[in-house]
Amino acid sequence: MASIANKTDEQLIVEKHITNLHNGFAHWPRAEEAPPALGDSRWTQDLILATWLMAETGQVPDNGLEYKIGASGGGFDVLDFNIPSQDKWLPADTEIDLSIPLNRRDDGAQLKIDLPMYGGGMSYGSISEHVMQARARAAQQLGTFTSTGEGGYPPSLVPYKDHIITQVATGMFGVREETIQYAPIVEFKYAQGAKPGLGGHLLGDKATDVVAAMRESVPWVSLFSPFPFHSVYSVEDHRKHVDWIRTTNPRALVSVKVSTPTDVDMVAVGSYFAGAHIVHLDGSYGGTGAAPEIAKKNIAMPIEFAIPKVHKYLVSENVREEVTLMASGGVRTAYDVAKAIALGADGCVMGTAELIAIGCTRCSNCERGRGCPFGLTTTDPLLQQLMPADWGQQRIVNMYTAYATQLRDLLRKLGLRSIRELRGRRDLLRYVG
Amino acid sequence: MTHAPTGSHAHTGYHRYHIPTKPAPDIEKWPSRFKVKVRRSGLAKLLLSEVFHYRGRKDVILSRPCMYGVFSGPVGGFMPREEHCVGCLRCTTEFPEFVRIEHNPERQKLGDSYFTFNYVDQIAYESSSGLVPVRGAGYRGKFGGEGWDGMWTDMSEIVRPTRDGIHGRETISTVVDIGYTPNFLQFDAAGQPVGNTPQTLSIQLPILFDGGDLPRGGQAAAIYARAAAELDTLAVLTFEQAIGLGQYARAVVPVLRPQDAARLGQLGFVPRVVEMHGWDDALHAAITAAFPEAIIALRTGFEDTPALVAYAQRGVKVFHLLADFHGRSPEGGFVLDLIRDAHKAFVDAGIREEVTLLGSGGMIAAEHMPKAMICGLDAVAVDTPLLVALQARFGGECASRTASEFVLPARLSEAWGVQRLKNLAASWRDQLLEILGAMGLREVRRLRGEMGRAMFMKTLEADAFAGLLGYTEAN
Repeated sequence: MASIANKTDEQLIVEKHITNLHNGFAHWPRAEEAPPALGDSRWTQDLILATWLMAETGQVPDNGLEYKIGASGGGFDVLDFNIPSQDKWLPADTEIDLSIPLNRRDDGAQLKIDLPMYGGGMSYGSISEHVMQARARAAQQLGTFTSTGEGGYPPSLVPYKDHIITQVATGMFGVREETIQYAPIVEFKYAQGAKPGLGGHLLGDKATDVVAAMRESVPWVSLFSPFPFHSVYSVEDHRKHVDWIRTTNPRALVSVKVSTPTDVDMVAVGSYFAGAHIVHLDGSYGGTGAAPEIAKKNIAMPIEFAIPKVHKYLVSENVREEVTLMASGGVRTAYDVAKAIALGADGCVMGTAELIAIGCTRCSNCERGRGCPFGLTTTDPLLQQLMPADWGQQRIVNMYTAYATQLRDLLRKLGLRSIRELRGRRDLLRYVG
Repeated sequence: MTHAPTGSHAHTGYHRYHIPTKPAPDIEKWPSRFKVKVRRSGLAKLLLSEVFHYRGRKDVILSRPCMYGVFSGPVGGFMPREEHCVGCLRCTTEFPEFVRIEHNPERQKLGDSYFTFNYVDQIAYESSSGLVPVRGAGYRGKFGGEGWDGMWTDMSEIVRPTRDGIHGRETISTVVDIGYTPNFLQFDAAGQPVGNTPQTLSIQLPILFDGGDLPRGGQAAAIYARAAAELDTLAVLTFEQAIGLGQYARAVVPVLRPQDAARLGQLGFVPRVVEMHGWDDALHAAITAAFPEAIIALRTGFEDTPALVAYAQRGVKVFHLLADFHGRSPEGGFVLDLIRDAHKAFVDAGIREEVTLLGSGGMIAAEHMPKAMICGLDAVAVDTPLLVALQARFGGECASRTASEFVLPARLSEAWGVQRLKNLAASWRDQLLEILGAMGLREVRRLRGEMGRAMFMKTLEADAFAGLLGYTEAN
């Protein structure tokens, strides 16, 4: 009781809710009945609860929760793997390599990541600094990367800079010489799957004093990033962007994040010829931030259709081995990652799954008032304390650890020793729609 | 009293079109989205334990997980205020033993099997706020599907003529023309146009209001007409509804039937556009005699495309094509395909540029409008969404254009209704601008028939998955 007496009301309130929340995250995946209002077609009750369980234990769920697919009725949810008979599986003790190179060109640092996944851009302001720290620390621990998003580079992330991608987006928020120089990878965000053809949105309620200071904008005023880059009308203009980054940081790899229009294959090839090391396709069903509902559903094609289109075109242009193709936008599970790779990607970029691991229920109220009631997509000083960075870090690491277990198991059953061998192996997929 | 188009500044000669919105909250209380169930004994037990544990620290004890006021009433969680619940589930996460959040089945009964409660929710938000629905956490629905859900619009990564969409300074025009335009102009030796010349009127947005099949208009008709006048668009109303609405003459499009031929004078004003409900020679002659300047549109079904082309070759240049309220033709075709077929028939006949195609039926969300235009419409005449905006309740399944029952609120006021329709139009127009901006189009007229800027699920899936074990085109 002495400890209670010595604490402020705010400390006690935060502690109380953190304890309750953590109990709840542990309770629901093991309960006989799921919360009735939880889940949707893409992220079903089972997928959310399975992700919570993986984030807690680091283990693959074994209590009957469906952790591989959702119930959207299309895309990854109608694909499965042709698992050969058991006599063709590799021995259980076979070492399976999940690493992929991020630079397939001769120039620049030869970076590789230990998992075929890294964290996608979520901006400061759209998510809390605690969440950014958790993601950065987890990326460091896992030997992969996370991206700043377009809201700037908080100083608290600098200790993890070797695992942080600096995003340069159309609003250019927080893009400074030093943030380019920190970065092993600089990501140009030309478009994003959550709102293809539109710029980033940060609504006024979340543009707090500190967020506005980071973005060099006015507090409490909504920020709608322009679309597209006002300095880019062509692949040649894009090349100038790449040169600008290389002048500032010659070591940095360049990633180009684009969405999925009808000519996504041409866009990808153009990006490659302009010097990109990584082409990052962001399909139309992804995204974590605020987006007009009309854009989420209706603009640009889902990632499942874009990956093979781009992969095939890069092959036909004889440049497939010189570029890393990362996919995102509705990649929810380890099996989605594997399917994306079998369709032709090298790896995937994850966003929503990480947020779910740290407590997101996908209620979609990120932009309402003070922001996320779970302290994730908010900059409210009290709310963001609900997700301590060290807890979040461990949850994200645990989730990816469970993903890695699933990927290794799948590859072993498919007779593959490396995730790199899976790329473009459409013959290992079957349609179950 | 006349009603100037919204945003007009007659003294300068120029106005940038803008729809003024303001909140128009529901007047009829609809069921809440969620049911909040709290086991009171559990809550009481929690309170007691917290009183003891936190030594009477009132703010700590009373700190509840809800940020939206569900538990902030006089008796807190013992009587939750369900109407505030947004379904975040923080309460049930923190207190799984005694708080349960469920979707409210009563809310889910709003609408019908086609106009589902999700669409009703969306229209309710749009018409009450005038805003574009913006939410976080990505897309939540099915992957694709039949009809509108199996179609995506294109976007441009870098090369586009517009920049900032609805938030920027560059104008994207949503003006559409209704009427006749010849394929080419002819001039005499003196340089004067001869032969057929354009006969069109322009409206500020590709949204018309269609009340042409609603037998009991009453106050709704006046709301449609006034809102259309203030928006600088058109309201299609039955002859009986149109009588007495002469103050909105610019906006009212009466639907005329053969029996109306002898009483056109009762209308009391000269309309700019009239619709004939099916072709009738005598009615056409009467309309031409009574309203020689009016544009005459034919209101008919989509399905008989050879007949439509034949009517066009006989002089009909505006078609208002109808599916039922669920977007179906009598033969079962869906409106998306019906539009494409009609558009293609006119293209094949080489006269698409001469005619205007309006459509109604089954277009119940903002995204359906640009999709319908890509498939070939010039503009959408919105029907059931207007009723939902006015908080009409569906009397069972409402597919039929003639036999459906909609019950409007008893306290319907004209000012409120007009604002709801203006808010809806503003929201849909802004969402259209988002689509146009993403596609890099500066004006909506370029959207018509732009099938190359659309993607269809069947095609994309075949391109991506052909050759996979188990995949056939029939999938």
